[in-house]
Amino acid sequence: MLSVQGLSKRFGGVHAANAVNLRVEAGEILAVIGPNGAGKSTLLNLLSGLLRPDEGRIEFLGETITQAPPEVRAWKGLGRAFQIVQPFPEMTVWENLLVGALYGKPNTPARVAERVVEEVIELTGLTPKAQTLAGELTLLEDKRLELARALCTRPKLLLLDEVMAGLRPSEALEAVELVRRIRNSGVTVLFIEHLMPVVRALADRVVVMDYGQVIAEGPYDLVASNPKVREAYLGRAS
Amino acid sequence: MILVGLLLLVALVLPGLPLGEWRAFLLDTAQFAFLISALALAWDLLARTGQLSLAHGAFFGLGAYAAALTAPALGTLPALLVGGVVAGASSLFLGLATLRLHGMYFAIATLAFSEVMRTLVLKAPFTGGAIGLPVQPAFGGAFPLGGYYLAVGVLALAAGTSLLVSRSRLHYAMAATRQGEAVARVLGVPVVRVKLLAFMISAFLAGLAGGVYAMKTLFLSPYDAFGLGRAVEALVIPIFGGLYTTTGPLLGGLIIVSLETWLRLRIGEGYLVVYGVILVLTILFLPKGLVSLFRRKGVGHA
Repeated sequence: MLSVQGLSKRFGGVHAANAVNLRVEAGEILAVIGPNGAGKSTLLNLLSGLLRPDEGRIEFLGETITQAPPEVRAWKGLGRAFQIVQPFPEMTVWENLLVGALYGKPNTPARVAERVVEEVIELTGLTPKAQTLAGELTLLEDKRLELARALCTRPKLLLLDEVMAGLRPSEALEAVELVRRIRNSGVTVLFIEHLMPVVRALADRVVVMDYGQVIAEGPYDLVASNPKVREAYLGRAS
Repeated sequence: MILVGLLLLVALVLPGLPLGEWRAFLLDTAQFAFLISALALAWDLLARTGQLSLAHGAFFGLGAYAAALTAPALGTLPALLVGGVVAGASSLFLGLATLRLHGMYFAIATLAFSEVMRTLVLKAPFTGGAIGLPVQPAFGGAFPLGGYYLAVGVLALAAGTSLLVSRSRLHYAMAATRQGEAVARVLGVPVVRVKLLAFMISAFLAGLAGGVYAMKTLFLSPYDAFGLGRAVEALVIPIFGGLYTTTGPLLGGLIIVSLETWLRLRIGEGYLVVYGVILVLTILFLPKGLVSLFRRKGVGHA
């Protein structure tokens, strides 16, 4: 579904992404993990088009989208939820979702968009908050809104950037359930996460990054016991 | 919406009312107030995308000069259209140049644009330069109320456009662009197109208002037509009345121009001090503008 070849991005002397190769298969849940500063968020910014790579290629559903602007990628089916929630604060929850529903696919009739919002708001449990201003939500609600808004663009591949960060364990469990439901509805998911229990519960496959490079890849248990991965997280034993 | 319709209706029948010896003065002030309100409505349309322009005095001036220069050859209505189109076209260049600028940097760029336009008109061989340019009245003066009704027409067009945009999908694209450009793009909003479209609609309306203004004052000079004062007024009025609304700039424009005129009559020297104090007090105590007085809580737009 998504294939990334030799993707690189430098900020000054820092290789935030260094020749990253990555494949996402249709229908899977792929976790990208790694220590702070490993380049995970840079990778998502490159994938969603907010950053342009210095080198490399991104292919999505058989088309090269390396230079495509973010809105074009959204239209092709690439959805994204941000780590730092960024709701449109002067709009209600409903209006926030409507932006995604109206513009996520070109020329969506208003009636279709409203039906999409109704479905998503139900799925994400935000119905009671529909008319609340997004600036007045709690963190958990903000996170849900972030996810819901991305869903409203009707993505085929959903990129989630630490959507569980800051949630209590019970809340995270709820969120895990939600992501599962999203995948079962036919959406492929790539997510970045720090909470290992969440990764273990959700991911079909795990990709580990460190210093802008992919250092390991595979099922959770295999990756977790990989010495390179332990070293990246815990430091080299001296 | 009802208020907007009501105000436009009053504007239509105003010349027929028994206004007494002040009639000519009142109609003249009203005409000016309509044009400035239209300019404020135009400014607000662009502001909805998060772009706070100081170029609207220049769009107004470009429209004024373009209409004044082409009216003898084309006639009044086509000349006004040319004024709007010239302003709209110039905004496309400005819009493209400032796409990546935000906030203060954007404002400064638009201010520079105003100065460049003023200098161009000052130095061009066909504008009368610093001496100024005499302008024919609307329709060659055949209808005494022609200019007045043109102003009503421009105001109605600006208010109508503003209402229409508020009720269209463009409203969501503009608000999203203003409140979070990067997120808006990731959600599929074609931000560049939205910004440029807002620029062109906004500048076109400002140019139209400028054209009618030219045919009202019958004389243009670069210092008046491109004055920074008008650019500031275009931004003060929506803030005073209520940003991102139709009622706000419309009502705000009518009130501010009337207030300014009345104060000038009553106080004469130093009226601007009182005017300034009233503005500051309003913005202090009604930060969301006049419209917040009669709007329920929580609605993001009206």
